[in-house]
Amino acid sequence: MEAVYSIPFNFLQCPNLKLKKPSWVKQPSAMFMFGCILLSYFLVTGGIIYDVIVEPPSIGSTTDERGNSKPVAFMPYRVNGQYIMEGLASSFLFTLGGLGFIILDQTNNPSTPKLNRILLLSVGFVCILISFFMCRVFMRMKLPGYMQS
Amino acid sequence: MADTGSKTDIRNSLTKPAGWLSLVTFAVLSLACVAGFSSRLFAVIRFESIIHEFDPWFNYRATHHMVATNFYDFLNWFDERAWYPLGRIVGGTVYPGLMVTSGSIHYVLSLLNIPVHIRDICVFLAPMFSGLTALATYFFTKELWTPGAGLFAACFIAIVPGYISRSVAGSYDNEGIAIFALMFTYYLWIKAVKTGAIFWGALTALSYFYMVSAWGGYVFIINLIPLHVFVLLLMGRFSRRIYVAYNTFYILGTILSMQVPFVGFQPLKTSEHMAAAGVFALLHAYAFLQYVQGVLTKSEFRYFFLFAIVAAAGLVFLAVVGLTWAGVVAPWSGRFYSLWDTGYAKIHIPIIASVSEHQPTTWVSFFFDLHILICVFPAGVWFCIKNINDERVFIVLYAVSAVYFAGVMVRLMLTLTPCVCVLAAIAFSKTFEIYLKDDTTKSNVEEEKQEKNSQYYDKVQPGKKQRIREDRPKDAEGIGMNIKSIIIICLLMMLMLFAVHCTWVTSNAYSSPSIVLASYGNDGTRNILDDFREAYYWLRQNTDDKARVMSWWDYGYQIAGMGNRTTLVDNNTWNNSHIAMVGKAMSSNETAAYDIMRLLDVNYVLVIFGGVIGYSGDDINKFLWMVRIAEGEHPRDIKESDYFTPQGEFRVDSSGSKTLLNCLMYKLSYYRFGELQLDFRTPPGYDRTRGVEIGNKNIKLTHLEEAYTTEHWLVRIYRVKDLSNRIEATFSDTKAKKPKVKYSRKTSKKKRGSLKHKPKVVPGKKPTKKTKTKSKKN
Repeated sequence: MEAVYSIPFNFLQCPNLKLKKPSWVKQPSAMFMFGCILLSYFLVTGGIIYDVIVEPPSIGSTTDERGNSKPVAFMPYRVNGQYIMEGLASSFLFTLGGLGFIILDQTNNPSTPKLNRILLLSVGFVCILISFFMCRVFMRMKLPGYMQS
Repeated sequence: MADTGSKTDIRNSLTKPAGWLSLVTFAVLSLACVAGFSSRLFAVIRFESIIHEFDPWFNYRATHHMVATNFYDFLNWFDERAWYPLGRIVGGTVYPGLMVTSGSIHYVLSLLNIPVHIRDICVFLAPMFSGLTALATYFFTKELWTPGAGLFAACFIAIVPGYISRSVAGSYDNEGIAIFALMFTYYLWIKAVKTGAIFWGALTALSYFYMVSAWGGYVFIINLIPLHVFVLLLMGRFSRRIYVAYNTFYILGTILSMQVPFVGFQPLKTSEHMAAAGVFALLHAYAFLQYVQGVLTKSEFRYFFLFAIVAAAGLVFLAVVGLTWAGVVAPWSGRFYSLWDTGYAKIHIPIIASVSEHQPTTWVSFFFDLHILICVFPAGVWFCIKNINDERVFIVLYAVSAVYFAGVMVRLMLTLTPCVCVLAAIAFSKTFEIYLKDDTTKSNVEEEKQEKNSQYYDKVQPGKKQRIREDRPKDAEGIGMNIKSIIIICLLMMLMLFAVHCTWVTSNAYSSPSIVLASYGNDGTRNILDDFREAYYWLRQNTDDKARVMSWWDYGYQIAGMGNRTTLVDNNTWNNSHIAMVGKAMSSNETAAYDIMRLLDVNYVLVIFGGVIGYSGDDINKFLWMVRIAEGEHPRDIKESDYFTPQGEFRVDSSGSKTLLNCLMYKLSYYRFGELQLDFRTPPGYDRTRGVEIGNKNIKLTHLEEAYTTEHWLVRIYRVKDLSNRIEATFSDTKAKKPKVKYSRKTSKKKRGSLKHKPKVVPGKKPTKKTKTKSKKN
């Protein structure tokens, strides 16, 4: 076997190369992966694919009865239509709610002091509540009859 | 894990904890099944036991055919009533799982002497399967996390609107049973990965076979499981268990899936399945390397290993690309390709882009279909990534891919839903575990100590132990019971609002049969608009059995199912040029359309018109898609820009373009509409859907005549007239024409009306030899 290997080296000289794996190639850490997933989640739930394909304006506008045009943030009554900003705003809320739950879990860490713990707890909880109720408000703006009848 | 908090209580109070636990589990699961079943019955209670929408009508018709004949007749069924004049080979172009499932239920019931009409089985099949889906999700989550999370997941999936949208009673479609098959396959796969037993691998393959026979979405499984294996290889988590599980699954699953006639040799020939084959090869290469590892020394092996892995992966990739290029492997089909290149369908395949459920998703659909779960979902992913193991890699991959696909197509929200339910259940159960658990630790200190000790056993350095022990009494009162219970109550309130939202969405958005419409008056009275069935029964009763009905493809299945008449195009959009032909007929002027209709041998034309009642899903609103599809095939005759005003708007009023105002669809929709005044505030011919007065009020039809219009003008049927009689010829004309037909009298064989091999019989002579031999041969 050794003889077979050495055949080409009878008439070739090995170049003096030092190949090594570049230092930045390594298995990404779990939290880095999670960050990537969260970012893509933020974009996808905001309907970024819809924005790319349909190319809606970032904010809509209507004219009121006196002929003045005023901006409209939400495209009302349309479940399968949106403006770019409303999508991003609501997907921000989705992500905020998720982060709230993660923070709630962090409070369980036994080594945190009492004050930090209470702060973390209130922050996480406020995140969840804000995201939940703001989503409902957004939904009311989107579908004015939401949960009314 | 919500119940583990009370578990310890129960353990103290009662001697049989296992009995209580299984009782609670059983009760929760059965309640979830019942709740899931009953929340899907809105449509049945409000209307009647009826098949919904479009595709279910074909499935029902096929099931009915199968029950009326037998399974083999069904597989060989050639449906001459669809795609006239081409016909459709139903057995080879349908996923038979749905029909076989309901057919076998019908068979078993009739064996037990319980006579049930097949329609009722079809209507209630999807709600029944939703209960099974809840069970499958419970087992899946139990394998991934804890039984408590499993209970949460089962409750979520039972009522989440994203799944209800496809499985209300009457929506007799493939997805209804396919989600159960999907979750059950995943459960068995996780089990196979955990145990590494051939038994579970084979069961996975069997369940996969059921999924293949039920829904085209099986491609998702056959790509996700190889992806899981591949990522496990990358993470260095290869083990004998994975090797056994994947090989068993892949080999058996591929062979089984090829037994479905519609799938046939696709698993070997199309790009969608190549990832699975590639991972199969890669896994063997990896296993071989591990074997080689035993032979070589360590330092030799390290280089050899790196090199060989890269080479193997490259080789597999190149092989797939090469085979695709050589034409052995079919490239991605348009529907799958549009998942990657999102603009593809919009440009190249208007027929895929025209379907409303293939549109990209907006944020509203995410919130509408999943509500609070969409907020909790990232937390679930976080928990899974934090405590990763072989199975949890799977759910993370499932989450990432499903979120992306759901963003591309509204329809694929369905595959995202189970995964969201599972992950949200994990997050909820983990949170509840934290905030309910200390409840019990206060009551008995001894157990707390044990628990805490076991918790810290290997995490904390011995030196630090002292400090933490000092901290501990502080922590115990760190968050008081009050705060914890407030949080718990708030979370429970949210879950309650989630249930309210689900019920509201189910009742308002997803429970309309769409062939029976209901409108509500100001005082709450309900009017039923039954125009569709009225029109289809008219067709069934008043037209010839062989009559051909032309309509846009959306209504093909309904005409075949309810009207029992031959259609030109239907919802199985397999022949684009045929559809384009119909689209061209609809969008050209009447004379040109008449030629096409003669060509296609059409007797009746059916259009849906919502202008009288303000129904927005009518043919005029779909009209631009007809034009686009027709333009794709006949770019010289039809141009989309002709149908817009110079300002680029699509208007049906007097400022609309001339081409639009004279095309067949416009004429058929608005024929005689100009005479109709709906109320005194609006002019005659006021279209309520578009909110304008129509532009062309006196429409004359020359080649068609109105045959039937339903009560609210929703469906209008026109008869295509025969060619008009020729003008009666005068005597002089016929005389003048006669010498035009000339026959040479010399060749007697070409005489009018002669037979080709007629034996010449000359009186008084024997027949010639030639004819004799011929007659002998015959």
